[in-house]
Amino acid sequence: MRTASPKASEITRAWHIIDAKDVVLGRLATHAAALLRGKHKPTFAPHMDTGDFVIVINAGEIALTGSKNADKMAFRHSGYPGGLTATTYADMMATHPTRAVEKAIRGMLPKNSLGRSQITKLKVYAGAEHPHAAQNPTPYSINQVSQIS
Amino acid sequence: MARVKRGVHAAKKRRTTLERASGYTGQRSRLFSRAKEQVTHSMVYAFNDRKDKKGQFRRLWITRINAAARANNMTYNRFMQGLKVAGIDVDRRVLADMAINDPAAFTALVEVARKNVVLS
Repeated sequence: MRTASPKASEITRAWHIIDAKDVVLGRLATHAAALLRGKHKPTFAPHMDTGDFVIVINAGEIALTGSKNADKMAFRHSGYPGGLTATTYADMMATHPTRAVEKAIRGMLPKNSLGRSQITKLKVYAGAEHPHAAQNPTPYSINQVSQIS
Repeated sequence: MARVKRGVHAAKKRRTTLERASGYTGQRSRLFSRAKEQVTHSMVYAFNDRKDKKGQFRRLWITRINAAARANNMTYNRFMQGLKVAGIDVDRRVLADMAINDPAAFTALVEVARKNVVLS
């Protein structure tokens, strides 16, 4: 018996919509990253993109625990000497409300061409509106799988 | 006794190495000495990775079983424990195949495992 390997034509991609309002950033990102990679499907294959599309709404109202809103820094580097820019999450959320969610999820995807193509299936919106109604996204609720029966 | 000349075997050895190096990049497929280094390494990698392949497949099966178990609201960890307690001796390769090709049977196994889970 050979271990099944899905064909590109056999992969079906669903659309999930996650409401980020008052959800802790990392908890949202782990679920979104797993959906984008397809790790929730029995047909998961590490060498190809078996994942679904994920829409995150209300990304501007994500929750950060502790004092991270004021203390946690987001770093960018322009590539030039001295080109490091450090921004607190509070500042970043004010100017780019979707960036915290995008950054957290991107960091949880593989750092290769597969990961870069998987991130394109992520659609993040600061508010409650999104233009993907035609894709019939199903609401995704962040539940922990029960350790007890 | 017949005389043995060295050139035939030397050329044969080089030809074999270069054939094994065909498709390699740059000098590694063209120059004997570069090809020899790469072929030696490649064979080591191939040998090691044939062993590694077993573990990689096991990891893939576990990922797939976990995905299917979570769809039935159970984690991989508890599922395997339940199967063990129930005395169901199905290996991960078969479980992963069932998860894809026979979801109903997989769900039945999850239910059996759920009844047998021991919570410490």
